[in-house]
Amino acid sequence: MTDVRRTELEQLIARVALGDRDAFDQIYEATSAKLHAVCLSVLKDRPEAEETLQEVYIRIWQNASRYAANGLSPMTWLITIARNRAIDRLRARSSRPATAPAEAAECVPCDAPGPEHAAIHAQQRRLLDECLAQLAAPQAHAVRAVYLEGVTYADLAKREGMPINTVRSWLRRSLLRLKDCVSQ
Amino acid sequence: MTEDLPLTPEQEDQALAAELALGLLDGPEAEAAVARLSTDLAFAQLVRDWQERLAALAESLTPVMAPARARQGIRERLGHSAAPLSEDPAAPSGWWRGPWAVLAGLLAVAVLAAILVLPALPGREAPAPAGPDYRAELLSEDQALRVSARVEGREMEIALESGPAAAGRDYEIWWIEPDGSAPISIGLVPRTGNLRMALPAGLEPSDAIRIALSDEPEGGSPTGQATGPVVAIASLTPS
Repeated sequence: MTDVRRTELEQLIARVALGDRDAFDQIYEATSAKLHAVCLSVLKDRPEAEETLQEVYIRIWQNASRYAANGLSPMTWLITIARNRAIDRLRARSSRPATAPAEAAECVPCDAPGPEHAAIHAQQRRLLDECLAQLAAPQAHAVRAVYLEGVTYADLAKREGMPINTVRSWLRRSLLRLKDCVSQ
Repeated sequence: MTEDLPLTPEQEDQALAAELALGLLDGPEAEAAVARLSTDLAFAQLVRDWQERLAALAESLTPVMAPARARQGIRERLGHSAAPLSEDPAAPSGWWRGPWAVLAGLLAVAVLAAILVLPALPGREAPAPAGPDYRAELLSEDQALRVSARVEGREMEIALESGPAAAGRDYEIWWIEPDGSAPISIGLVPRTGNLRMALPAGLEPSDAIRIALSDEPEGGSPTGQATGPVVAIASLTPS
């Protein structure tokens, strides 16, 4: 997947928006193993991850026309769809109260970010691992677990033996520190 | 930033944006944050920035190939697939691309027919017109499990020759690059017959690639990394 450049993926998504099945196949070939890994990481169940992956690509097909307007880099858009669908499924499984439909953010209108935005993002990506390493281990672990496994504040509170509010303020500060580090 | 000080309004917005991007909010707080996305463009940008930042976490995950039936399922649900067998779902999309679609389609059917029919014909000792580019014979230590892998162009075929996995278990197939990166799951050994798939982009067959089988729970490793012992491993060899 690393050999598929951002602009290529953007062009493919633009073609999918026009109903180009061949472009859709190419996106599937280039990205499905990664998105499947995202679904598996959250759901930890092969059949459910496979089913979710199908829903993810159906959504990509249906929403491609809205991609250009949302300002996300193509891989982030795809990963976000996969993660959010997997988390919806995870929460439906445990019949937890639904949390924010984060996918609402997939389709937010925006004042188109320029190319300098993309450069900033590439830089931030390289820095993220470095910055996570600067957090204390439990905090870094919690950020990963929330993103990659769909862990909630309630789960974290249970895991750490702390009240939810304490865990929340602890994670919020970790996230702010992470952001400061990445955007330095 | 000190632990004791309350967050500034800017920090509150940042933290809220992160929580929304992570799906950590619920109830009225979640509804309010989602509603704010459409009225407060600066806040929406903060959420997108968090999505970008966090997506880097997913980029570090080891890719896991989905079985070919997932792709077929997507095509069927989108109404993209034609009648069964009019095209080979496992064939690489390049085959039916562009103006050559009809010809390539016919070719795909011919190839499929050849594969289905040839083994039944007498005199199959004659060399096949186009053999595989690479193959690997995977054999467990006690020789009970025999699996053959063939790569032809971008297409890979896995055949179980003997020793299906125990009930409740599956053998998972791993693609191992020479650079020491994490093995990539490319599917499960079929219990009977052959598995055919298109290699995903980024996987380049060569004699430096090794293929391994690990013993996993039914349906494959739940984590995307091998959890059971590797029972067989072999290099791809040119043929």
